[in-house]
Amino acid sequence: MLGYYFQLAFRNLRRNPGLTALMIGAVALGIAVCVMTLTLYRAMSGNPIWWKNDVLYAVTLDAWDPNEPADDRRPELPPWQLSYRDAMAVMESGMPKRKLIMHKAIGVLSLDDRSVKPERALTRMTTGDIFAMFDVPFQYGGGWSESADQGPEPVMVISRAMNEKFFGGVNSVGRRIRWDDREFRIVGVRDRWQPLPTFYDLNNGSLEEGEDVYLPFGWTPQFEIWSAGNTNGWKQEEVNTFQDFLASELVWLQMWVELPDAGTRQRFQAFIDSYAMEQKKAGRFQRPLNNRLTQVDQWLIDNRVVGNDDRVLVGLAFAFLAVCLLNTVGLLLAKFLNNAAITGVRRALGASRRQVFMQHLVEVGVISGIGSILGLAFGGIMLVGLRALYTLDPTDTGGTQAIAHVDVTSVVTALALALFATIAAGLYPAWRIGRIPPAIYLKAQ
Amino acid sequence: MTAWNIRPIASALWRNRTGAMLVALQIAIALAVLVNAVYVVKQRVDKINRPHGMDVENIFVVATAGFTKNFDYEASWRADLAYLRDLPGVTAASLVSNIPLSGSGSSNGFTAQPRTPEQSGEPANNFEVDEQAIEALGVKLAAGRGFEAHEILPPTDAWEFAPQVIITRDLAKAVYPPDGDALGRTIYDGLNRPSTIIGVIETMHGSWVGWDKVSQVMLVPRIRSGPGAVYLVRTEPGRQAALMRTVEEHLSTSNSDRLLRWVRPLERFARQSYLDDRNMAIFLVSITSALIAITALGIFGLATFNVSTRVRQIGTRRAVGARRLDIVRHFLVENWMVTTAGVVAGCGMALAIGYWISLKYELPRLDLYYLVGGVSGIWLIGLLAAWQPARRASEISPAVASRTI
Repeated sequence: MLGYYFQLAFRNLRRNPGLTALMIGAVALGIAVCVMTLTLYRAMSGNPIWWKNDVLYAVTLDAWDPNEPADDRRPELPPWQLSYRDAMAVMESGMPKRKLIMHKAIGVLSLDDRSVKPERALTRMTTGDIFAMFDVPFQYGGGWSESADQGPEPVMVISRAMNEKFFGGVNSVGRRIRWDDREFRIVGVRDRWQPLPTFYDLNNGSLEEGEDVYLPFGWTPQFEIWSAGNTNGWKQEEVNTFQDFLASELVWLQMWVELPDAGTRQRFQAFIDSYAMEQKKAGRFQRPLNNRLTQVDQWLIDNRVVGNDDRVLVGLAFAFLAVCLLNTVGLLLAKFLNNAAITGVRRALGASRRQVFMQHLVEVGVISGIGSILGLAFGGIMLVGLRALYTLDPTDTGGTQAIAHVDVTSVVTALALALFATIAAGLYPAWRIGRIPPAIYLKAQ
Repeated sequence: MTAWNIRPIASALWRNRTGAMLVALQIAIALAVLVNAVYVVKQRVDKINRPHGMDVENIFVVATAGFTKNFDYEASWRADLAYLRDLPGVTAASLVSNIPLSGSGSSNGFTAQPRTPEQSGEPANNFEVDEQAIEALGVKLAAGRGFEAHEILPPTDAWEFAPQVIITRDLAKAVYPPDGDALGRTIYDGLNRPSTIIGVIETMHGSWVGWDKVSQVMLVPRIRSGPGAVYLVRTEPGRQAALMRTVEEHLSTSNSDRLLRWVRPLERFARQSYLDDRNMAIFLVSITSALIAITALGIFGLATFNVSTRVRQIGTRRAVGARRLDIVRHFLVENWMVTTAGVVAGCGMALAIGYWISLKYELPRLDLYYLVGGVSGIWLIGLLAAWQPARRASEISPAVASRTI
C-alpha cells in the first residue's frame, strides 16, 4: 500500500510542477537558513570545553575603583582580569588542584644560524598547569613542571605549525630556539588545538588565532614582558618602571583554577574572600565584597561572547522557517483541496479516512524530504559563502576559518528541524482532506 | 449592493478561511521582520559610513619588530623613516603607537582643571606620533598647528604627558563645554600634569569603532616605545599598491636585527573593525528579502488557488453581466482584506520586536515612519502578487458557466 502511495505522490507532484517546486523550495530555504545561523551561533558561542565545565573556574576579584564599577553596563561584575599583586597572592593558596595565571605577549622566533626566516610569534606567558587544565594535546613532549615556573627555566612549548616552519615537523624536543633575544629549550610541541571561542582570554575578540608559543610565566617579571593583550586601570598612580607596573592596581592577568568538587570550591571562595577582607583593612578592595569563581558557560555570557546580533539572527532564522512552513501548509492545503474531487471518488470507492490521511501524509513526506535534503545542501553552500564574508584575506588563520565548519551537532539539529518541519507542515492538510465528505463531489460530477 | 462588494467577498473568504489565515500570519511575520530589519540595517549603514576624518584609502601601515641584542631601535626607526619619506609618491610618514580603526589602542582621562580624586575626567584615545602625523593621517586642522620636529619626545614605556598636545574638536567640546574653544588652553592628565593644546583636529576616529567616544582623540608628540615600530605612510592617490610592494621588498632585507612583520593598507583595519556590522547588514538584507519573496509567493499561491477553485462561479458571474474589471476587483479586494488582516497583526508584532531590540541594542525606540513604510510596502507587494491570478480570472470565458452544467 505504501508503495502505491509513493507512486501517487510522485504522480501528483508532477502534475503541478510549479507549485511543487515552490513548496520544496520554501522548505529547503527555511531549513538552509536555520542550519546556517545555528552553525554560526554555535561556532561563536558554544562552550569549547564543556566536558570540564563543572571544574574549571575563572577567578575575578573586585579591587576596582570605589566610585565606579569596572564595566558600567554590567555593574554587578568585578573586572575580568587581575592585578599582578592579587594574582600572586591567590596563587599562594595550595587549595585548587590546578591553577594558572597568564597573559598574552608577542615575540619573534629565530634560529641562531638563520636557516629559517624569523617569525613573529603570538605567545602565552603562563604557569605550567595550562596544558592539563585545558586538555591541550601534544604532538611531541609535554608541558613543564612547577619548578620550571618558579626558576624560571628557559623552556618552551611551540605549536605544531611553528614546529613545521622551523624544524620541518620532526620531533624538536630538546632543540634550542630564540624568542626575541633569549634562548629557550623546546620541551613540547602542541598539536592542533583551536578552542572556539577562545574562552580563556577574550580580550582581543573571541575568534583569535591560537598561540604559537607558550613560555613559563616566571619570565614575565624577570624579562619585564609587558602584556600584549589588554591592561586596564582606574587609579591615578605613577607607573614609570616595570616594578611600578607589578605593584600597581592595573589589571592585566587572567587566572583560572580547577576545583574538583563543591567542597574545595567553597573553601577556595572562602580563601579569596578572606584575602579581600584582609586587603580591605589595608585600605584596598573598597567596593562591596564581590569575588567570583565563574564556570566557562557563565564566563562566556558575562563577557558578552554571545552577542545581541547572534541572538537576533537565530530569532530571525526561526521566524523565517515559520514563514516557510506556513507557506508550505497553505500551498499543500490548496493543492489537496484542489484535488478534492478525486479524493471524494476514492472515499466513495471505499478508502477509509485513515487511508486518505496516510496517502496525503506520504505526499507531504516526499515534498518535505526532498526539501530537507536540498536545504541541508543549500545550508552547506551558504556556510562556504559565510566564510568568504568573514575572511579579509586568504592568508588569514584562526577562528574565522572554523566558522564554516559543519559539526555533528549542527547536522543532527538540522535533521531534527527537517523532521519537525515535515510533520508540522503535513499533519493539518492531510487531516483536513481526510474529512472531506465524498457526497458533495460525487454530486458535482 | 455597493460597488466594491465588500460583504459578499468577505463572506466568501470566511468560508475558506484556513488558507487565508495562514497567508495573513505569514504577512504579519514578514511585516514585523521587515520593519525591524530595515531599522537595524539603517543604524549599521549609518555607523559604517560616518566620517572618520582620515585619508584612509591612501594610507598603509608598516609594522616591524626588533628581536636581537644588537638591535638599535633609534637607528632603525630613523633609517626607516628617512627611507619612507624619501620615496617618490609618499606624502608623509609617521611613527604611531597604535593604528586608528584597528581595535587596539590606549586611552586616558583628561580634565580642563586639576581634578579631585573623585573626578574621572573625559576619556580620550591617545596616539603617540611624530611631526608628520597630521599629514600622514590626512586629517584637517580646524585651528592651530601640527607638531614640530624638536617637540617630539623620546620613548617611554609607561604613560607620560607632553608639554604640547593636539586634540580633536569632539574632545575639545567634551573637556571645555559648551563651545569647545580649546586652542592655547591647558589640559590635565590623570596625575594633574598640564599640557598646552597647540592644535585642534576637525574630525578623527580613534581605535575602537564600537566606542561611543571614538572621535575623542589626542595626539601626543612622542616616539613610540621599541623594539617594535609601526609606521603610518600616506601616498599620493593611486600609488599605494606599488609603493607597498617596494617598501616590503626593501624593509624585509634592510636590517637583519629586525623582522618586517607586515605591510597592510589601513583600509583593511577599517574593514576588519566594521566586519560584524557589515555582515549583520548583509544577513538581515538577504534573509529579509527571501522572507518577503516567499510571502509574496504565498499570496500568489493562495490567489491562484482561489481562482482555480472558482472557475465555474466566475464564469457564471461573467455570464450574468459582471465585467472583467469586476472580476479583477473582486480578487484584488479579497486579497487586500487578507493582507490587511496580516498587516494589523504584524503592526503589533513589529512594535513588540522593535521594543525588545531597542532594549537589547540600547537604541532609540523604533520610529513609526518605518512602520508606515513597511505597511505600504506590504500592501503594494500583496497587490502585485495577486495581480496575475486576478487577471487570469478575468479572462475566464462566460461560456464556462454553461459548459459543465
